[in-house]
Amino acid sequence: MKILVVDDDSLAGEMTSAVLEDAGHTVVLAGDAVEAADRLDEGRQKGGDPFDLVVSDMHMPLVSGVDLFRNLRDQGDGIPFILLTGDDPGPVLAAEPRLDGCLAKDFTLETSLIDAIAAAMAGRGAARQ
Amino acid sequence: MTPLTTDGPKSSLRAKVRQLRQSFLDRLPQMAASGRTLSASLAVSSDALDEVHRIFHTIKGTGASFGFEEISFQAGIGQAVITAFRDGGGPLSDAGRIADELIALFDRIELLAAETILANAESGDAQTLAAVGGSHPGMSHGKRIFLCDDDDLAGQQIAAQLVCFGYEVVSFADTGALRAAVIVKTPDAVIMDIMFPNGMNAGTEIIESMRRELPSPPPVVFLSARKDFEARLRAVKAGGQAYFTKPVKATELVETLDVLTDREKPEPYRVLVVDDEPEVAQYHGLILSEAGMTVRLLHEPSSILSVLAEFRPDLVLMDMYMPVCSGRDLAQIIRQIPDFLSLPIVFLSNETNKVMQVSALKVGAEGFLTKPIQPDDLISAVAVRAERMRTLRSLMVRDGLTGLFNHTFLSQYLSATLATAARESRKVSLAMLDIDHFKEINDSFGHPAGDQVLVALSRLLQQRLRHSDLVGRYGGEEFAVIMQDTGPAEARTIIDGLREDFGRLSFQAGEQGFSCTFSAGIAGFPAVPSDHLMETADQALYRAKRSGRNRVCEGYAGDGDPGGVPSGERMAPAAPSVAVGRREDIGHG
Repeated sequence: MKILVVDDDSLAGEMTSAVLEDAGHTVVLAGDAVEAADRLDEGRQKGGDPFDLVVSDMHMPLVSGVDLFRNLRDQGDGIPFILLTGDDPGPVLAAEPRLDGCLAKDFTLETSLIDAIAAAMAGRGAARQ
Repeated sequence: MTPLTTDGPKSSLRAKVRQLRQSFLDRLPQMAASGRTLSASLAVSSDALDEVHRIFHTIKGTGASFGFEEISFQAGIGQAVITAFRDGGGPLSDAGRIADELIALFDRIELLAAETILANAESGDAQTLAAVGGSHPGMSHGKRIFLCDDDDLAGQQIAAQLVCFGYEVVSFADTGALRAAVIVKTPDAVIMDIMFPNGMNAGTEIIESMRRELPSPPPVVFLSARKDFEARLRAVKAGGQAYFTKPVKATELVETLDVLTDREKPEPYRVLVVDDEPEVAQYHGLILSEAGMTVRLLHEPSSILSVLAEFRPDLVLMDMYMPVCSGRDLAQIIRQIPDFLSLPIVFLSNETNKVMQVSALKVGAEGFLTKPIQPDDLISAVAVRAERMRTLRSLMVRDGLTGLFNHTFLSQYLSATLATAARESRKVSLAMLDIDHFKEINDSFGHPAGDQVLVALSRLLQQRLRHSDLVGRYGGEEFAVIMQDTGPAEARTIIDGLREDFGRLSFQAGEQGFSCTFSAGIAGFPAVPSDHLMETADQALYRAKRSGRNRVCEGYAGDGDPGGVPSGERMAPAAPSVAVGRREDIGHG
């Protein structure tokens, strides 16, 4: 899959990328929500290579991860979206149930992120059928 | 933001994650530093509140991703403190307290980062290069060096060389990380670059501030591309013990580090005090032992010979006037024994008559001290002479260039060791080492370069072998190692490890760098009889040379018997000319 990783902290972004690439995905990194929107736009262009999934950090300056998500949905883009947060994911999911997943950043990311992607894609597949 | 190009195997993910974790730890001091600055500004204005919150947030989130729970937890506290402050909208006086609290949190985070770096280093993770080949029991313990250089490659090169000399090196790319690490665990020495991205003099500045903060700061060696006077002056003012310009010669750096990190106290001086009056002897003895010397008192001059033989003093302090036998007579008796010809004798007396003093000196006394003497004067008079005695003694048995034991001493020691081993049924291995193509090194790079190689090999041998292993310079570019209680197979493994490390060293001759290797031959007693040991090791060395150099060969009993060089010839004092001829053959071949 082609995945867009959004994180204002480059090390954290690289960490997420490393996990995803290790699982065989192609990753593009974006440093903030604006850059992320640009990358997604480019992918949607004619002849572009569209993204299959967004994995975004929650807390970023100016535009947060959940704001990015809402903006995409407002534009009618239904791309699967997984949010990563340093806080408890429970309240975030409660506030925005449309998210395909919300994970706490911790050292289990390596497995939990892959599991969450599998669950999200399975959910989408089921919904589409 | 460069996309990564990792593919597949878990090991590369592991490596990548380890690298990212390390980068995060390296970056923390900088983040903590800006966090502290911003927090301090909160006392007067809350403008920076969001920014501080964001820093805590990043540390918390990324720290958690990398599994640094405690760091993440502390950052979480910082976040909570700010949130509470915001909600309460507290008065300005509170802001000062909040600022202090946040600064303390950043301090804690920085310390935690340093501790983690050190812990990683200890477990052999991340970027520590611990001495390799520690299979030899009792291998001399590595001293810990912190190396701070923003140029990763240069740092790695230096670290790799120091490791070969038995040092343990922990590298830091950032001055803040170094400072925090030093506070957590003071190393044996710090090697510090001067120019960093955060300042032309960032290196000297951080060391200067560390010297103010720490009760006992570690010795510091500066290492810089800057050759200007100002940089050197700053280094001296910051308390730097040495200054090297890049590219640095590893041997010189090691020599300096050896001196700076040598915490071993020298053996106390041994002083024999001879006085027929016990109280006087006791008084002088007390002064000297208070100064850390080992003192033996003697009231009965007639037993001097047995006491000298048994106590082996570095100096004799004696009263001039004693019944039965005067100090003068006693000194003469001592001087008539060849073993004590150079033993310093110092008279202590209330004799102020110059003529009498000179007559005492004529029999070979080292000096004349007049009673009553100030304790400090007594101590320094004795220490100076005892020290000189030791130096002289070591000059007689050591090689001038390398400080290793010389041929004569080595031969004596080998005979004695083998005699003891035969008596007590113990193992002894002898290794003969010879630097490959040494003549060519001298020819192409000059004799100073050759000397550099000799010194490097001798240091490597001294540092990496046990105290009970005796290392000597046998002659020219040939070294010998006598290893007690070590079988030939074990000796071979050890020497082979040293051979590999020696090959990794790089030397500098002008602008040119080069490296070199050695070959070695090993023979073990009792498998090889003691009178054939030297010869067998030599034959094995010859075989190592003939089969392509840069290798270690083991010699076996009977190897050299048919048509070999008669045993003992290499041991005899007349041997060197024969040996040199043969070695040159090797050099050309």
